[in-house]
Amino acid sequence: MKFHWFAEATYGHLPEDFPQQYRSAWVDTPAHLMDPLAVGETYRMFIRLMEHADTVGFDGLAVNEHHQTAFAMTPSPNLLAATLASNTENAAILVIGDSLALYNPPIRVAEEMAYLDCLSGGRLIAGFVFGTPMDSVFSYGTKPIELRERFHEARELILRSWREPEPFAFNGKFTKLRYVNPWPRPVQTPPPVWVPGSGSVETWDLVIDENYCYGHLSFSGLQSAKPIVDGFWEYVDERGGETNPNRMAFTQICCVAETDAQAERDYTEAVKYFYTHNSVAPEFLAPPGYQSIPSLRAQLERGTVGISVEDRMRAANGEMSFWEYDEKGYIIAGTPERVRERIRELAISLRVGQLIPTLHMGNLSEEIAMKNTHLFGTEVIPYLRDLWADQPDEWTPQVSQQRVTANEPKLAAVSGD
Amino acid sequence: MPIDFQTLGDFRVRVWAEGSGSPLLYLHDFEQHPGGASFLQELAADRRVYAPEHPGYGESTGFDAIDNLLDLVLFYRQLVASWEVGPLDVVGHGLGGMIAAEFAAICPQFVRRLVLISPYGLWNDDVQLPDPFALPPDRFRQAKWHDPEKAADAEPSIFEANGDDAFGDVLFRAQNLAVATQFLWPIADHGLDKRLPLIEAPVLLVHGESDGLVPASYAEEFAQRIPNAKVERIEAAGHLPMVEREDDFLRVVKEFLA
Repeated sequence: MKFHWFAEATYGHLPEDFPQQYRSAWVDTPAHLMDPLAVGETYRMFIRLMEHADTVGFDGLAVNEHHQTAFAMTPSPNLLAATLASNTENAAILVIGDSLALYNPPIRVAEEMAYLDCLSGGRLIAGFVFGTPMDSVFSYGTKPIELRERFHEARELILRSWREPEPFAFNGKFTKLRYVNPWPRPVQTPPPVWVPGSGSVETWDLVIDENYCYGHLSFSGLQSAKPIVDGFWEYVDERGGETNPNRMAFTQICCVAETDAQAERDYTEAVKYFYTHNSVAPEFLAPPGYQSIPSLRAQLERGTVGISVEDRMRAANGEMSFWEYDEKGYIIAGTPERVRERIRELAISLRVGQLIPTLHMGNLSEEIAMKNTHLFGTEVIPYLRDLWADQPDEWTPQVSQQRVTANEPKLAAVSGD
Repeated sequence: MPIDFQTLGDFRVRVWAEGSGSPLLYLHDFEQHPGGASFLQELAADRRVYAPEHPGYGESTGFDAIDNLLDLVLFYRQLVASWEVGPLDVVGHGLGGMIAAEFAAICPQFVRRLVLISPYGLWNDDVQLPDPFALPPDRFRQAKWHDPEKAADAEPSIFEANGDDAFGDVLFRAQNLAVATQFLWPIADHGLDKRLPLIEAPVLLVHGESDGLVPASYAEEFAQRIPNAKVERIEAAGHLPMVEREDDFLRVVKEFLA
């Protein structure tokens, strides 16, 4: 099983009464709440954390794209990825991902991802995303009804531009280019492609048809994800797709410490900050056209699954105790022994081969996040390597697989057994 | 049955049509077709009223063939031509007003007189329109109606509940608004201000004084750019004066079209 270090680049200095005073941490959050120098420090912290993760056995370093939000201040994941591609040696650079509909012309994605693949020596994972409604349709003004078509046209252009040896003309509906011939081209031919989704059948069809890695990227944990992820696997099976667990990625907040009591002391405040400072005004959540009518119908018919509406509210309002967040699956916390057991359970239950452990959250200090990263890399990962080890993995770069494996014996020694 | 389907190339649209006499085309707003609303029946008392449901709305198909506003206007050109009724009066409401204004500028030979009710299509930085897709439900009702308490239940719609489908109404609305985003998102300005001067037909702008979706001052914004236009404001009405003040609405419209 593989592990990709991740964190949302959350602004950690919002006022304490933010949840009461402001309706939304997305789209129209007042910019005066932000200190740009503090933002710079946050970026530097994430770079240091991921550089460390690269040395302690992580398979990938994940970066993402969001706009106009205090929750994740990474408007261009490629910028952060460029630093990592330059400063790290082993792990894959998991850009998860570029919001294809927002690049004009989208050939920019082909160029920047190729740059990253060249700079990292072939360690890029190319994640393509639709973007949340807050990102793609409110902050960037894309017509919801066009979002998916723009995404697919851009995806086809990008992949073709990596493939075609000769310059070609591209006469799309949204993008018209007379001379497509990006320099540079990626080292990998092509980089593996990951596409996250939130349960819509159209996205399932896409990843099955193209054999992409599918990502269920939520922060609500196993219980909440179980019905949707089970639905995905059933659908893959029905359609005769590849049921290899390595084609499935999942995010999970993890809080590792020397003892369970220490975990509670170290992470309670940050976990609550994470869940209470990520409010989205309801009007920005589900604009018409963002979901297709069949997907919307399926969602309505499915109803609330996994976790009750009441529990979701309590989680978002910070009304859960630390261990209740853990019990409901929002976080996996405690000693390395406890965390690895719970991850094994989760990975088997969801049939996940690519875990994206979220190891910094909210306003966590760098010191604790560094400890989390170190303990996870040395005390958790080595004990879970056996899981799905018999399954081939064509969704992470060969180069990062080789380099991370080459480092493993040393890490096993560190771990002590 | 006054509602029938008409097939035209890639399109199969529902058309509410009633009455006989001189023809009138009614183009509905972004939320829904009003069905056999009282004001439409009154207009049809002494003339032939055609009220198509826009492609992609409700049960009208063909939206896949529409990439932009011009495609929609040209669809209406084909539709009107297919009726072989010669020039007609055109009444458009909100989004339908925007389409009607484009239609009159692009196909002047089809339009005798034009009525624009609370039309979308212009943008003034000093009097900004709210985002109709992002107003919380309460604020949306406040913006839409002069008297939300009284009016909201009385809104006419072509939608008919099907007992077997618990989500029919939700999905009807979701689909309609999804299509509307093609024309109104993120800002309902496709350059109409350059084309309004090309309108040859006499134009009446009808606007509810309390319209919070398209503020009433937009009636003047339109009138200033159209060679032959006048404005009628309707008191105690919001974005749907034909529903909240049907009598006043019919009086000014019938007088103008007489």
